[in-house]
Amino acid sequence: MQFTHLINNNTLNMSQRKTVQWLLWIFLIGLITAFSAIYYAFNMPRRNLAKENSAYLLSAKQLISDFRNDETIATRKYLDQAITVSGEIESIRNLDNHSMVFSLEDAMEGVSCTVDSADVVTYSSKLVHFKVGSQGTFKGRCSGMLMDIQVINCVPFQ
Amino acid sequence: MNKLLILLVLGFVFAHAGAQNRYFTKDAKIIFNSSTPLEDIIAESNQATTLIDIDKNEVAFSVLTTSFKFRRALMEEHFNENYMESSKFPKAKFTGKIISPIDWKSEKPILVDVKGILTMHGVSNEIVLKAQITPGKSKILASAEFMVTPEAFHISIPSAVRDKIAKEVTIKINAVYAPYQQ
Repeated sequence: MQFTHLINNNTLNMSQRKTVQWLLWIFLIGLITAFSAIYYAFNMPRRNLAKENSAYLLSAKQLISDFRNDETIATRKYLDQAITVSGEIESIRNLDNHSMVFSLEDAMEGVSCTVDSADVVTYSSKLVHFKVGSQGTFKGRCSGMLMDIQVINCVPFQ
Repeated sequence: MNKLLILLVLGFVFAHAGAQNRYFTKDAKIIFNSSTPLEDIIAESNQATTLIDIDKNEVAFSVLTTSFKFRRALMEEHFNENYMESSKFPKAKFTGKIISPIDWKSEKPILVDVKGILTMHGVSNEIVLKAQITPGKSKILASAEFMVTPEAFHISIPSAVRDKIAKEVTIKINAVYAPYQQ
């Protein structure tokens, strides 16, 4: 309101009016940029593991071995990294929230690959071929080790 | 032997307990809620590992902090990077003992007190929580709800967002245990 008042004020000469107009534009562009940045940060998309390159591509046996040898070093190396892991499927569990967990190499102490409920639907045609005893490959985010090594937000590969 | 070592990490000593006296799940649900009128902050993990030893009335929980899922990716990022410092402290753990009398053969829901040590963000605090347990031969159901304050676990909340995060965080646990097979 004050800017408009200044522009319309006859006390300003032409050059001063232009300066005020420029300042007004810069202010508006800054405001829109700041608002867009905040809006993006607030609604930033989740990591899409399907589109990420794997930092590590390894067998479930190797991953298990790395964590058993030194959990601290392995956690530092793999935590939050996109990894592609392969191994024999030892168990398949359906969770209450409709996500699925595929345990590789050992049902208790192996690598547990969780496919989120939305991805269970998206990749249903691939997942039907994943059976106990078959080979499975998953790309996901390593979240560390409890009894098993957990890889979450997984995308299945044939 | 390797399995035994891992279970010891969860706070159990199994030297004299038989396999049928231990119940276990890797799919326990933990929900935490720190909502305020300004912001809904609810996160859920379905991947907590937990054990109950009905001989010793002991219970242990362990969850990876990066397994919590939030409504917004930004909340998840702040939770892991700024508050829980998940790269430094990737796990939260609870080991405790059921201090109320419990009849494991009753198969009826019973409300019990559980006293133990909750460790998160590298800080351990003793807590006493109420849990409802429904014993059973083939499965045991357990649920609990308790409150914690971020300050008690040295989790500092910047003043700019202090009003958006509840002073006391509610933690809810639901677990369906099956007999532990060694």
